[in-house]
Amino acid sequence: MKPRIAILAALGAFIVGLSVATFAELKLFLPPILRGAVVTLQISFWSWLLFVSLSCIAGLGRWQRNLLVRWTATVYIEVFRGTSLLVILFWLFFVLPEFGIIMSPFVAGVLGVGLNFGAYGAEVVRGALTAVPKGQREAAIALNIKPRNFVVRILFPQAIAIMVPGMVNLTIEMIKATALVSAITLVDITYASVQQNQLYFRTLEIFTIALLLYYCFAQFVRFGGAALEEYFTRHLAKRR
Amino acid sequence: MTDFAIQFDKVCKAYDDLDVLTDLDFAVRKGEVVTIMGPSGSGKTTVLRVLMTLEEIQDGVILVQDEPLNKMYKNGDLVDADKAHVRKIRSKIGMVFQNFNLFPHMTALGNCIEAPMYTKGLSKQEASEEAMKLLAMVGLADKANQYPSQLSGGQQQRVAIARSLCMHPEILLFDEPTSALDPEMVGEVLKVIRDLADSGRYTILLVTHQMGFAKEVSDRVCFIDGGKIVEENIPSEIFENPKTERLQQFLSKVLEAR
Ligand SMILES: Nc1ncnc2c1ncn2[C@@H]1O[C@H](COP(=O)(O)OP(=O)(O)OP(=O)(O)O)[C@@H](O)[C@H]1O
Ligand SMILES: [Mg+2]
Repeated sequence: MKPRIAILAALGAFIVGLSVATFAELKLFLPPILRGAVVTLQISFWSWLLFVSLSCIAGLGRWQRNLLVRWTATVYIEVFRGTSLLVILFWLFFVLPEFGIIMSPFVAGVLGVGLNFGAYGAEVVRGALTAVPKGQREAAIALNIKPRNFVVRILFPQAIAIMVPGMVNLTIEMIKATALVSAITLVDITYASVQQNQLYFRTLEIFTIALLLYYCFAQFVRFGGAALEEYFTRHLAKRR
Repeated sequence: MTDFAIQFDKVCKAYDDLDVLTDLDFAVRKGEVVTIMGPSGSGKTTVLRVLMTLEEIQDGVILVQDEPLNKMYKNGDLVDADKAHVRKIRSKIGMVFQNFNLFPHMTALGNCIEAPMYTKGLSKQEASEEAMKLLAMVGLADKANQYPSQLSGGQQQRVAIARSLCMHPEILLFDEPTSALDPEMVGEVLKVIRDLADSGRYTILLVTHQMGFAKEVSDRVCFIDGGKIVEENIPSEIFENPKTERLQQFLSKVLEAR
C-alpha cells in the first residue's frame, strides 16, 4: 500500500505543478474535462452493473446442463467476444435506428460496453464456478439442499472469491474502453480532451490530465478489488 | 413391509464403458451396521454414491425402506422418479465424505443449520438449538463459531457428521471417513461413529480400511471385488475364517501393509 500512496502523492504534486504552470488556461479547459470525467464515471457505473449481471447470468448459463440455456449463453459470449467494441457501438448507435430502434448515445454506450465486457466476464464467472470443488455440490445433494439454494448460498459465495481478481482486471479494462464512446458523440474524458485541445492547443497538459484521470480511476478499482478479495477469501485460507 | 433398510437388486453401474457394479445384489436390515471392504477401485464408493443419488444406475432396482430410489409408482405403473420422490427418499439418507466437504464460508454451526433452515424451513433458532446439541454430541460445542479452516481434520469430520445428523437421516453412509486424517485424529472420529452405531438408531453403511474398527462395530462385513460381493459374513468369520481365495489374498495384503 505504502509505495502506491507515494506514487499517487507524486502524481498529485505533478498535477499541481502542471496546474501552476498552466494556471491561466487551466481555468478554461479543466472544467469541461472534469465534466467529461463525470460522464465517464456514469457510463462506467451503469456499464459495470450491466457487465457484472450479464457475466453472472451468461457464466451460470454456460455452466448449466440445460442445452438450450448453455447454447444461448455460448452464442452471446462468442458474438460479443469476437467483435470489436467500436463496431458494436456503431451498430447500436448508427445501424439500429435504420430498424426503428433509436437510443440515446448514453444508452447505446452503456449497452455496448456492458454487452461486450459481459461476454468476457462470463468466462471468468464460468471458470470460477468450475473451480469450486465438486464435493460442495455433492454435500449439498446429500443434505437435500435445493439446487437454487446451492447456487445462491454455497456455489456463488465461493466462486466470488475466485472470480474477484479477474473481474477487477476486466473492470479496469472496461473503464479504459469507455473512451470509445466518444465515437458516438458522448463527451467523456477523451472527447472533452480532444475538444479542449482543439480550442487551446495545450496538448501536453490536456492529455496528461486525461491520462491521470483514467489512471486514478484504475487505481481506485484496484484498491477496492484488493479489499474485496481479502474480504471474500478470509475464511478460505486452508481450502481443501 | 420388509425389515430391510436398503436393497440392491441386480444393480448395474458403468462409467462410460467401464462397468463398476455388475448385477450387484445386496441388502441391509434396519439398524444393521455393515462394513464394505475391498481393494481400491472395487466399487465401494460407487455403492454409496449410487445410494446417495450422486450417480445414476443403468440397470436394476435399489429399494430404500421398500421404496424404489430411482422409480416410483404412479397409477400402479412403475415410472421414473420425479424430483419430489427423489428428495423424499434422499431425506432418509445422510452421507459423510472422505474429504468432509464442509462449506468453507460458513462456521461449524452455519454448516449444520444450512439444510435444516433452507431445505426444511426451520427457524434459525430452532435449527441452531438442535445443531448445538449435535455439535456437543460430537464434542465440538465450543467450536460452533469457528470456520472449517480453523479446525483440524478430525474436528472438520466431526462437524460433517453433526451436519448430516441435523437432517435426521435413518441411514448413514460413511465413505472412508478417516482416510484423509492424520493418524492421531482417527480415534476421535471413530469414537463418534462407534457411538452412532451403538445407539442402534441408525442403519449404517461404512466403507473403511480400519479393519480393527470394522470388526468391533459391524454386524456384518461385505467383501466386494470387481463390483460384486464376493463374501459376506459376521466380522469374526470374515477376518478369522475367510472362505474365498480373493478375500484371503486381500486380507494378507492388508495385514502385510501394516
Ligand atoms: N466419475 C467417474 N468417472 C469414471 N470412472 C470412475 C468415476 N468414479 C469412479 N470411477 C471408476 O470406477 C471404479 C470404482 O470406483 P470407486 O470409487 O467406487 O472405487 P473404490 O472401491 O471406492 O476405491 P477406493 O478404495 O480407491 O476409494 C474405479 O475403477 C474408478 O476408477
Ligand atoms: Mg472410494
